[in-house]
Amino acid sequence: MKRSGQLLEDLQKRKKRQIWLAAAGIVLITAWSARETDFSVVSVVRGFGEIVRFIGQDFFPPDFSAFRSLIGPAVDTICISFVAMVVGAVLSLLLSFFAAATTSPYRWLQASVRAVCSVLRNIPALIWALLLVAAYGLGTLVGTLALILTSVGTLTRAYAEILEEIDMGQVEAVRATGASWPQVIAHAVLPQFFPGFVGWSLYKLELNMRASTLIGMVGGGGLGFSIQKGLKLFQFQEVCVAILMVIVLVLTTEFITGKLRERLI
Amino acid sequence: MSAILEIRNLRKRYADGTLALKDVSLRVHRGEFVAVIGPSGAGKSTLLRCINRLVEPSGGSIIVNGVDAVKASGRQIRRLRREVGMIFQQFNLVERVTVLRNVLHGRLGYRNPIAGALGLFSRQEIEEAKNILRRLGLHEQMYKRADELSGGQQQRVGIARALSQKPLIILADEPIASLDPATSETIMQILSAICREDGITCLVNLHQVDVAKRYADRIIGIRQGTVVFDGPPEALDDKAVGKVYGP
Ligand SMILES: Nc1ncnc2c1ncn2[C@@H]1O[C@H](COP(=O)(O)OP(=O)(O)O)[C@@H](O)[C@H]1O
Ligand SMILES: [Mg+2]
Repeated sequence: MKRSGQLLEDLQKRKKRQIWLAAAGIVLITAWSARETDFSVVSVVRGFGEIVRFIGQDFFPPDFSAFRSLIGPAVDTICISFVAMVVGAVLSLLLSFFAAATTSPYRWLQASVRAVCSVLRNIPALIWALLLVAAYGLGTLVGTLALILTSVGTLTRAYAEILEEIDMGQVEAVRATGASWPQVIAHAVLPQFFPGFVGWSLYKLELNMRASTLIGMVGGGGLGFSIQKGLKLFQFQEVCVAILMVIVLVLTTEFITGKLRERLI
Repeated sequence: MSAILEIRNLRKRYADGTLALKDVSLRVHRGEFVAVIGPSGAGKSTLLRCINRLVEPSGGSIIVNGVDAVKASGRQIRRLRREVGMIFQQFNLVERVTVLRNVLHGRLGYRNPIAGALGLFSRQEIEEAKNILRRLGLHEQMYKRADELSGGQQQRVGIARALSQKPLIILADEPIASLDPATSETIMQILSAICREDGITCLVNLHQVDVAKRYADRIIGIRQGTVVFDGPPEALDDKAVGKVYGP
């Protein structure tokens, strides 16, 4: 009893020392990166004033007459995000079967699918868009393709993990009743798979909505493209309306997907 | 008396080389309530799972109501399984759907393989499922999600699912191993009473000898993949128990 108390004390001491070391490390790294990047509080404050002046004078009041002409691009943004999510979900559904340890027929296949998805996921949609613009020129197609690529990367892994967590006992019990393969999938696998599937797909829709604005700015179409054009032409009051629309779109998506998740899960 | 289940020279070697069943032969008559006992790893689960082909036998034959399960084709396996209900240690209910739906799963083997996937059941099937739940005292839990129930209730749903198959045989693999003693007693009473009332043949894997002795008409003792005892509960004396569980 005494010995274990001593041990615990030692352990706590060591833990404390580790925390202090970590804290010191973080401070050092922060200081070093601030120096490297010429980060200074003074210039931040000065720049902040500049931003306020820029927004206050150039962006306001928003020019709402631009609203009508921005409806088209806004619809484009919604369509890009949605189509990319749906196509991505369908492709990922097929791929996840090969990416999950429990369902993949071969180890090497599982590893390769996971590796490809990791690449797709870890290269930002913005970079994919830049590459794709070179191949397909400007337009919504580029935005959609870029988001499909990242959707496949994210969703395949997410779905595969859901598949790996499926309780095979439930599956076996339904199989033991004499159920056919499609019946087993429908009655034992889907109920376990569905909530996670919906949750992840909706989350990816949200991410797509945000990313599509950024992608638009490099030529992927939609509201981002309008913002970029407006900035170049110094039509800041129109840009202001576009930005407000982006905010409304993102918040609305978040609200709707949140509600859907609540109801379906 | 006719045998509803006849196992001859059953052998099972798993892919990793484990010889789980060596040379098992036994006959079970219609309506018998048989307890299978034996130490952990003896091959009890393997034996039960060979009967409904959740495990692929390596040799021998298993005649279930006249059909050889070992030689059965995919379609015959489906037919065989729907006549053989199974109850599990971990209950294995589909947790996210209702109790009633879990009971209806017992009807899947009788439905068109494609149409059944859509989850449509006839009004008569739903009525019968409700009656089974009523019989097991679960009618108030009917529309609850399966995982909201207690362990004992979940196992009763497991029994209800097996009953909705209208089975000739019920295989129960350690049905009370995850339950407390009082609940275990209830489950064993329900299972044995129902099997007797309905004339269902039942094979129950158990590891408690006393439970086996109290409920079974007949006890089969397995050790290292071989039947080392087969007889009525009265014949299972200390010497016989020693033979099953060994020094
Ligand atoms: N899927 C499997 N693969 C390899 N060996 C297995 C498998 N399932 C069971 N076994 C082995 O077969 C033997 C019998 O197991 P089992 O039938 O589960 O015994 P019991 O149910 O009596 O505890 C054990 O040695 C076990 O380790
Ligand atoms: Mg077992």
